Amino acid sequence: MLLLFATLAALPGVRAADACPCCAAAAAAAPALSSRSVYQLDASWTTDAGRSFQLAALRGRPVVLAMFFTSCGYACPRIVADMTQIQQNLPAAVRDQARFVLVSFDDQRDTVAALQAYREAHGLNASWVLLRGAPDDIRELAAVLGVKYKRDAAGMFQHSNLITVLNPEGEIVHQRAGLEGGLAEAGRAVVAADTR
Amino acid sequence: MKEHGAYRSHWTHVLAAVIAATSLAAAAPPPRGMVLIPAGAYVPLLRDRTDPAQVPVAAYWLDERPVTNAEFLAFVSANPPWRRSRVSPLFADRTYLARWAGDLNPGPDAPAAAPVVQVSWFAARAYARWAGKRLPTIAEWERAAAAGFHRADGRAEPGFTAAVLAWYATPQPGVLPAAGAGRPNLFGARDLLDLVWVWVDDFNTVLISGDSRGSGAAGMFCGGAAANSRDPSDYAAFMRAGFRSSLAANYTVADLGFRCARDAAP
Repeated sequence: MLLLFATLAALPGVRAADACPCCAAAAAAAPALSSRSVYQLDASWTTDAGRSFQLAALRGRPVVLAMFFTSCGYACPRIVADMTQIQQNLPAAVRDQARFVLVSFDDQRDTVAALQAYREAHGLNASWVLLRGAPDDIRELAAVLGVKYKRDAAGMFQHSNLITVLNPEGEIVHQRAGLEGGLAEAGRAVVAADTR
Repeated sequence: MKEHGAYRSHWTHVLAAVIAATSLAAAAPPPRGMVLIPAGAYVPLLRDRTDPAQVPVAAYWLDERPVTNAEFLAFVSANPPWRRSRVSPLFADRTYLARWAGDLNPGPDAPAAAPVVQVSWFAARAYARWAGKRLPTIAEWERAAAAGFHRADGRAEPGFTAAVLAWYATPQPGVLPAAGAGRPNLFGARDLLDLVWVWVDDFNTVLISGDSRGSGAAGMFCGGAAANSRDPSDYAAFMRAGFRSSLAANYTVADLGFRCARDAAP
């Protein structure tokens, strides 16, 4: 390669950049998002640490994601428990790389403090990301994931029970619907998504 | 004396002009092509015990007719990422604008004045945002569509419900007719219950399991008790609920278009 470069560069009228297009390519920006990536949604969320967060920050890692709300008494604790189970069953190298993301439906009651308290109450470690955001962005993310949800008269949410696995490009590679079984399969999808 | 009279007359004119200008500013003209749906109530078709029997709906502006191919062409002309050849599969499926002849050419199968169809929820929302509007919610749309031609409740008009069901049962023509040709309802909106189905902003609030035979249906939804219907005879409303629940946000369907809404000043 170097020999070729040297030869080409020695030719009159050939500039170094022309002789080595791969160098120019390497200097270019990171590859564009896949057209199937959920990270095309560029909404700004807020973490339970009060920091601004975009989903594209998860790029490069396998992601296990669900939508929830802290006041949910039945299904969400089970979903979080299932995600914890998936996390624990992963091989260590994948477990360290993966991120577990919970996005709240409840823009009104799930404040930063409420999310913080939820993290502590459920012992969620640094691999977990808890997010709150604007109603329109919540609606859009749910629409992309295929999650249905509805706020009822009491301010509680009826919602799909869905755990989604994203690959490092942010593409949906697996979904586990309902509350029964499917954890081994979801775990395998996370391992397969870790393409390092 | 004449000079003094002229002076007073001048200021009278100035005062009149100021009053007129103030009146004009206070009574701003309605948004072009939209009709005001006054504040009222929406009676949800499906509700469980904890849901209220009626949902108040604030006054809002609704497009008089569905968005047309010509209007959507202006949108994609100005917004290249929404052109058929460039749109992300995340935001629109493979039949997005399939009947158009090209990216910027609706062609003979999509007449300029006909409602645009085969657009996804994402595309409809993007158009609405670009136009300074939004999509109506289910409650807003159903409130507008509940009206008959001369009564607040269309079901009280002889033949109204039958006409709606007749349209729902009619196969869609290959090439759609122009939007806005239908008779205006009580609020002045046209083609609400024929021509095309339309996207609503909160379509994914309809938590119905498609197939109740499947064992996986239990546990699909948190909190959704068995929904009771307010009126089992309102088959048209059932069809709309069923249709909405069957949709995914990136779906494009041959008889599914949209119309826009806008908040009305309180």
